[in-house]
Amino acid sequence: MAQIELNNLTKTYKSHSALKSVDLTVKDKEFLVLFGPAGAGKTTTLKMIAGLEFPDEGLVKINGEIVNIVPPANRNVSMVFENYALYPHLSVYDNIASPMRSSLYRESEEYIKEAILKVTAKMKIDHLLERLPSQLSNGQRQRVALGRCLVRKPNVFLMDEPLAHLDAKLRHFMRAELKEMQASFDTTTIYVTHDYMEALSLGDRIAIINQGEIVQIGTGEELFYTPCNQFVAGLMGEPEINIIPGEIIRDGANVRVKLARQNQLYELPEDVADFFRGNSIEQVNLGVRGNDVSCSSERTSTKSIKGTVYVLEPIGNRSILTADVEGQKIRIIVSNSYDVDMDSTIYVDMDFSDIIFFDRESEEFLIRHNQESLVKEGANG
Amino acid sequence: MADLILENVFKRYDNNKKSKVLNDYAVNNLSLHCNEGEFIGILGPSGCGKTTTLRMIAGLEDITGGDISIGDIRLNNLEPKDRHIGLAFEDYALYPPLNVYDNIAFNLRAKKVSEEIIDEKIKKIAPLLKVDDLLKEKPISLSGGQKQRVNIARAIVREPKLLLLDEPLSHLDGKMRQVLRDEIKRLHREIKCTTIIVTHDQLEAMSLSDRMAIMKDGVLQQFGTPLEIYDDPANEFVAGFIGEPPMNLLTVTIVKEGEGFLFQFAEKNMKISVPERYNKVLKDGMKVRLGVRPTDVLIGTKKSPGSDVEVSVFESLGEERRLHFRVGEEFLTLITTEKIFYRPGDRVKLEFLSEKTHLFDMESGDKIRTE
Repeated sequence: MAQIELNNLTKTYKSHSALKSVDLTVKDKEFLVLFGPAGAGKTTTLKMIAGLEFPDEGLVKINGEIVNIVPPANRNVSMVFENYALYPHLSVYDNIASPMRSSLYRESEEYIKEAILKVTAKMKIDHLLERLPSQLSNGQRQRVALGRCLVRKPNVFLMDEPLAHLDAKLRHFMRAELKEMQASFDTTTIYVTHDYMEALSLGDRIAIINQGEIVQIGTGEELFYTPCNQFVAGLMGEPEINIIPGEIIRDGANVRVKLARQNQLYELPEDVADFFRGNSIEQVNLGVRGNDVSCSSERTSTKSIKGTVYVLEPIGNRSILTADVEGQKIRIIVSNSYDVDMDSTIYVDMDFSDIIFFDRESEEFLIRHNQESLVKEGANG
Repeated sequence: MADLILENVFKRYDNNKKSKVLNDYAVNNLSLHCNEGEFIGILGPSGCGKTTTLRMIAGLEDITGGDISIGDIRLNNLEPKDRHIGLAFEDYALYPPLNVYDNIAFNLRAKKVSEEIIDEKIKKIAPLLKVDDLLKEKPISLSGGQKQRVNIARAIVREPKLLLLDEPLSHLDGKMRQVLRDEIKRLHREIKCTTIIVTHDQLEAMSLSDRMAIMKDGVLQQFGTPLEIYDDPANEFVAGFIGEPPMNLLTVTIVKEGEGFLFQFAEKNMKISVPERYNKVLKDGMKVRLGVRPTDVLIGTKKSPGSDVEVSVFESLGEERRLHFRVGEEFLTLITTEKIFYRPGDRVKLEFLSEKTHLFDMESGDKIRTE
């Protein structure tokens, strides 16, 4: 049992405010991802839970107990840093045994053996105990490093960007490896990353942090489909979500949207129209992902938006076409066989059922079509 | 035609740590024919010889063997300054005491071009690179993206026959990189100067290049359009190098099943059908390297040949979903944008898109062709 609670956690370095009143509860056995850009306060938060930094204000609680002044060694917290440093001259068995043999624990060899066999069986590395780290694959090494942290049954497992130092190709495999053995952790885990794929893949829940403040907490589906503001929407997805200014036009019960510098009025899905009937918001931003826009050299409907091809970039199994619509750049994902000349005319079509509406001024989330069923649909495996 | 032609070019560093053995070539028999106005990317892992190649073209390295020429003019013995080449390297190396205008003008003044003509040229180039508002600024007050724009402006203001770019974007952060990438692409269309970019970033190379040269250990592996290389890699190295996330590359045994064949994986009971077009070139019991991109692995139907396989990992990543199937110490990965949902332990049949299934020779790594 280990529930982590952070209340009003605040930290200032000289004049730079690293954390501003952070409140966060991590449930027992939950895998929580702390996700945000560089300098957001992710690692500072982690260090406070580990006891390596002290808050100026606020409380750190483990299982309801305030641990602010408990030294790191007595918190029973296990921290995994960016590289999984294993002792190269020790076998897998001795690597995993090393924390339990330390002066702090001094467990009996009998106890150690039992604990190692249990953990290594769970992580499917029990056939590798005699090997040296150099005789292991990357995935096996990761498992050994994590096994070494888990063997002493920490209350909390803290992971600080463990995959960040890997190249993109290896990261893809190691993330899958990590996810495969996630179920065997059985320990409350806080995982820090600035990679949205890691956040979406691994987190039971994701807490988004920016400039020392928690911006949104939710499942990957919640954050992806209903980001609480444009900042969060911009963090998820490649290429970044398009933000297009628009205006809500009301004509009696008829509610439609007009895009900036366009005359055409577009119908809204009924639930979205309903939302705008209930308020008087006019200035909005439309968040549209590159997957939810299509384009064609011919006008396909009267609703098509005319623009020009700014640039077309093939990037493998797909291409990114950047359309220039009256100075507004719209990035569209197209098939990699799609070929079109720069500056030629193009017609852009959007599916309004996929658009996320934000308030223009506050940049806060307003509404999207079908939001409840989208969020519920695919809870992460 | 002023094409850039490299013919059987060799480079060996003598008395250099780089060459541990005699005949260890940094560039080994490289021939490339770049058409006038083409944008060529040279791509490969570090130490593949890409930067050495660029430096030989620029005249910063001697050529050990072979010829480099632009049109009828052989470059080998020409001084760098006589080659009419514009260079923009990774570090901007602007003159700190000079403002942007004087930085761009510097090389023209060295060539005693009149101030009037210099002014005319800078006024033409500056807006193309969006530095027209910065001409009075000193380098210290510029962002990384702006410095690289000035750097490129300085390279093209002399109207070179050839523009060489060495990792021009690698210092920049993600967003700026994307913006400048787009602008370089548009600039090239404007000035139509033959351009060579050296980069280790495959997205950069693919998005900018008309054709790409993939190098490894000093040897050219493949030369073609980005799509040709992506869809039809010449060997296992190229297949694994290009594509992100990477192509699935696994050792399989071919087993006979009725009229056709199946791939048998390291997990012996995992079998997936072999596309029919390979029937004539395969034999029962043969081992090959199978290459198939994650987006070309499909979920089959109950009737699909082969065994069903167990889902080891399911990832929901917003725009796409990934399924990983454990094969020994490796995974076979499937990527789809369909809104599917699986749990670990679920069993599915898999199929590979026939035209996108590649086989490579176990020994040489060369592609096994069906005709």
